[in-house]
Amino acid sequence: MLTPASAADVAPSIVANSVVANSVVANSVVDLPAVLAARYIGFVGFLRENGLHVTTADGADSMDIAERMGQFNAPLLRWSLRALLCSRAEEWRRFDELFDAYFSPPNRQKVVETNAGGAGQLDLEQGDGAPGDRSEGAPLATATGEEGEDGDGTTAQHGASRDASLAQADFRHLNEPAQLQEMDALMRRFAQRLRQIQIRRDRQARTGQRIDMARTIRHSIARGGVPLDLAWRQKRRVRPRIVLLLDVSRSMSLYSFFYLRLARALSVLLSDVHCFIYHTRLVGVAEALRDPDPWRSQERLQLLSGGWAGGTRIGDCLTEFNQRYAGALLHSRCAVIIVSDGYDTGEPGRLVNALSRIRRRARRVVWLNPLASRPGFTPSSVGMQAAMPYLDLLAPGSDLASLERVFPQILQALQ
Amino acid sequence: MNDVLSLQQRLQEQGYIAEPSLATTLLLMTEMGRPLLLEGEAGVGKTEIAKVMAQVHATRLIRLQCYEGLDVHSALYEWNYQRQLLAIKLLDNDERSVAEKEQDIFSERYLLKRPLLEAITTSPAPVLLIDEIDRADEAFEAYLMELLSDFQISIPELGTIRAVERPIVILTSNGTRELSDALRRRCLYQYVDYPSFDKELLIVETRVPDAPAKLARQVVEFVQSLRQMDLQKKPGIAETLDWAAALLRLGVSSFDDDGIARIMDSLSALVKTREDRASLTRVVVAKIAAAC
Repeated sequence: MLTPASAADVAPSIVANSVVANSVVANSVVDLPAVLAARYIGFVGFLRENGLHVTTADGADSMDIAERMGQFNAPLLRWSLRALLCSRAEEWRRFDELFDAYFSPPNRQKVVETNAGGAGQLDLEQGDGAPGDRSEGAPLATATGEEGEDGDGTTAQHGASRDASLAQADFRHLNEPAQLQEMDALMRRFAQRLRQIQIRRDRQARTGQRIDMARTIRHSIARGGVPLDLAWRQKRRVRPRIVLLLDVSRSMSLYSFFYLRLARALSVLLSDVHCFIYHTRLVGVAEALRDPDPWRSQERLQLLSGGWAGGTRIGDCLTEFNQRYAGALLHSRCAVIIVSDGYDTGEPGRLVNALSRIRRRARRVVWLNPLASRPGFTPSSVGMQAAMPYLDLLAPGSDLASLERVFPQILQALQ
Repeated sequence: MNDVLSLQQRLQEQGYIAEPSLATTLLLMTEMGRPLLLEGEAGVGKTEIAKVMAQVHATRLIRLQCYEGLDVHSALYEWNYQRQLLAIKLLDNDERSVAEKEQDIFSERYLLKRPLLEAITTSPAPVLLIDEIDRADEAFEAYLMELLSDFQISIPELGTIRAVERPIVILTSNGTRELSDALRRRCLYQYVDYPSFDKELLIVETRVPDAPAKLARQVVEFVQSLRQMDLQKKPGIAETLDWAAALLRLGVSSFDDDGIARIMDSLSALVKTREDRASLTRVVVAKIAAAC
């Protein structure tokens, strides 16, 4: 992570380098390699600090390119380096700005500022979680709710394993930093199990449509060359695609972190997970969640989620999802999992419309409602009532235990 | 820079309009011998780039269309079992030793080359297009990566086959699935966007030379403003060309009142879903056309 201070320290030296490169290099050939190295390796480092996926080998390659393409032709250098150093559309869009910032000194300060802003946001977000929990404080009439203040104490009293206690606690008590890691680990195991179930099912397939010639011939040796025992080949069963639509509006603020962590753990372990968050608009966060650095991932999420914890317009967001992503994303092996409490400030008609379209495209639509685990819950909110006819499953999802009960059902539906 | 311009020129001669940045990347790709990953919306001409590269280099285009469940056998090689079986029967009364027979049966004669094997054994180096790599499974992606770094394939019965010349490899992706970092790192990257007005006009002029200048201009402006709309499936370049050709066939020379009716008739060349078609009512079309 680049702190503002260190960025400011680095800046002058690199700027100086590029000035040297522009003016002196033409005359003195001796300095060229060193200056080149400083310049391009510095650039690669600068990109890395700004969140691009670059490797150390890229530094050498950029020097190679610069020599090939000629360093003094700015557009050519820009296009070549862009092709080499970018590896996804998002980076492609940011590259020009970063290139300008690095190679033309006056702009440089601007980017350092954005970077600092990001780092600052992170702290803010961290601090935000805990007070939010206490102030929000919707009544939770369960025993775990009162004990949750101290995780260790709880486990000792119950004499159960620590994992079990975490699995039972409501999430709002899990936002304390010390416990986040354990929660991550728990999710990881959870996602692993999700994976195992699917693989085991795959192997059980015994028949197929195509004959496996190689193995049939091998079997036929025992029968004197007559292919009596046929061996079959079958297309490997592909895992279902999971599309997560997470409500991060204020009414969901107790649970949105939990679900994001779940989504992150899932995204790391399974590749075909697509996550979107929505409140008054919809944002795709799949790439941010996959970021290997957890802090940077959070930072990117923070940047993506302007308006976080505001009102909800579920219908509008799902409509947007249909328009922008559904065509490319949804197919007949898709499970769409919507996480929301169903408090919709938008028009119910839009929600019905959007859901019915998702329903037609995807295989299963599952709605996880954190409030559903409360005793005496009925799907009475306007949004929930509008949505009910289109759901395959409405399940409580306020803690790991309740989720664990639901996931097998989702998986089963997809097999 | 001259190299880039000359490549751009040669691409244009083959009917492909590339902006200098794309030409630079294509040049770099051949110079560095690295694969190129092209990403972008459907219909922006990603596949076309590979085709035109093959023409420019006067070589073959070998295409591997990826799909879900694509396995190594259908991408690499397969033994021709039927012929082998037949050969075994025929060799029954042969005097040769078992080892010799075996060598005969597992020789290249009985090998069915699939695109990847074909690409590395063809000379001069072909252009290998791996289309829609995001549709293939991760397992295949991992295998592909190995191939792209070594350019060799080992067949247990035959031994290792090494590339005679490195093919020019172009991968395309529509982004339905996130590709692995390792694959991305190995490739040069180019994001292909919808063309700008000038570029698209040039494309229409090149590919539909019969269209009068005014019509070409209006067609492109119409399509460009259509892309700004909230459509489920935005028209790509192929659609623009189809539509221009369709209008030409219908005898439309400009977007006047009579033209609007013809436009309505020919919209099926441009919008491909029912919802989009429904949202483009006569009033909407007339409005857009009037602005062109």
